[in-house]
Amino acid sequence: MNNVWIAGAGMTRFGRRDETLPDLIAEAGLAALLDAGIERPDALVVAAMNPEEFTGEGNYGSLINTHLGLAQVPTVRVETATSSGMAAVYAGFADIAAGLHRTVLVVGGEKMSHIPTPRVSEIIGRSIDPHERTYGTTMPALAGLVTRAAMQSRGLTLREMAQVAVKNHANGARNPLAHFREPVTIEAVMESRLVADPLRLFHCCPISDGAAAVVLTAEPAAVRIAGIGQGTDTMAVRYRSDLTSFRATQAAAQAAYKMAGFGPARVELAELHDAFSPFELISLEDTGLIPVGKAGRATLDGETALDGRLPVNTSGGLKARGHPLAATGIAQTVEICWQLRGMAEGRQVQARVGLAQSIGGLATNNWVALLEARA
Amino acid sequence: MIAQSIEASRCPRCERMVVPPAHYCPDHPVAMEPATVAGVGEIVSFTTLHSPPEGFKAPLHIALIELKGGARLFCHGQETRGIKIGSSVGVESLDGVFYFSHMGFADRARLFWRRAGAGGEKVASISKSLAKGIWRGRSRGDS
Ligand SMILES: [Zn+2]
Repeated sequence: MNNVWIAGAGMTRFGRRDETLPDLIAEAGLAALLDAGIERPDALVVAAMNPEEFTGEGNYGSLINTHLGLAQVPTVRVETATSSGMAAVYAGFADIAAGLHRTVLVVGGEKMSHIPTPRVSEIIGRSIDPHERTYGTTMPALAGLVTRAAMQSRGLTLREMAQVAVKNHANGARNPLAHFREPVTIEAVMESRLVADPLRLFHCCPISDGAAAVVLTAEPAAVRIAGIGQGTDTMAVRYRSDLTSFRATQAAAQAAYKMAGFGPARVELAELHDAFSPFELISLEDTGLIPVGKAGRATLDGETALDGRLPVNTSGGLKARGHPLAATGIAQTVEICWQLRGMAEGRQVQARVGLAQSIGGLATNNWVALLEARA
Repeated sequence: MIAQSIEASRCPRCERMVVPPAHYCPDHPVAMEPATVAGVGEIVSFTTLHSPPEGFKAPLHIALIELKGGARLFCHGQETRGIKIGSSVGVESLDGVFYFSHMGFADRARLFWRRAGAGGEKVASISKSLAKGIWRGRSRGDS
């Protein structure tokens, strides 16, 4: 298997954007190509979760390669719900690792803010089991069930969950590309309106537009993908015996560590899928970065803050950087790349190994990637 | 309240029960067999949606229930006051939609005696397992 390197990274500002999705993807993709010093990649992987319904366009791989001026470059589109971006990184990784191509541009994005919120929720909600959806379950509803169960069985507290949002907003305030750049107080989080009891509005990520891109190469560059793994679980939440940890993350982390040949002890920085604040705490434990039952305390103690032992979501995470679905897994990769290259101005931490974790659907199709700075 | 019999499927390979009936076991690509399971169980978790999707009225109470027979299922409920994780509930299907209701001690005792008095091997075995659940639930003091 060939080593796979990240030679370029780029992303748009996340938030409400007036540009079309192809324009956002072009902005991110061309920035990543420029960063890599490559004009034309050997292959293109496009991630978009549901542009058919959000934007009315189809045949998305071809639409994007033509829009980017890369119509003759072999292109595939990949989709694993809200983790589509990391699935695209994996597809590009596999392509180069197998020796099929030498350079692959991986781009992903979503454009949703032009659509009324209930409609956006409904479209995202289609990643839930059809039978469970007939009960009015939405992503926040399922996350609410997970959160209440975790509070009972893992002793997760409302204050710990709120601190995740406070920390990620503080980080987002330092990231010029973040959707939200205002800090929030723990009181504001704990007093925000109930969405899906016990989850409140400020525990939930916003609806964002945006795109992100990386250029993967067989030629050595500044950052290497040391390991990448996938984990899956049942689409139906009622088929699972445990609500409070995600088997899909655990399996993905195991596969990534195995490929990398090292464990969580070497990880110094992480981007985790905090679509709902408690998910960051669950993910910290599922990836083995913090022992089970300790993530909440560690967060309150500042261990995961920018100046902590293990900075988590230096970009602001899904909560503050924003969550344009298929852009997210790639944006996590971009953030870790920038951190490892010393380019995270205003929020730079010292790290040589970073972990990115992306959750698809209600943890039905998850990914973990391990990035390492070149020695 | 009488425990309703709920249609389910059982995997012949791993014995897993699922509700509602499904063609294939989620863990094995083998056809599942028809089965039934009694509509009594425990709350795994629950939530209340304050802005439910179109077609539902707020507040919308949703619970995930684990039936004594092994399957988990989603239910709607009238309210969540007084319930917590581990509470014993009865589950009924109305027009194909499952509803849970919190079983007070009187309900559970009535259910136990009615089942126990009805005779028949199957009913007896159901009531035995129900009785176990009832007393387990009661000993935790969650009614
Ligand atoms: Zn089976």
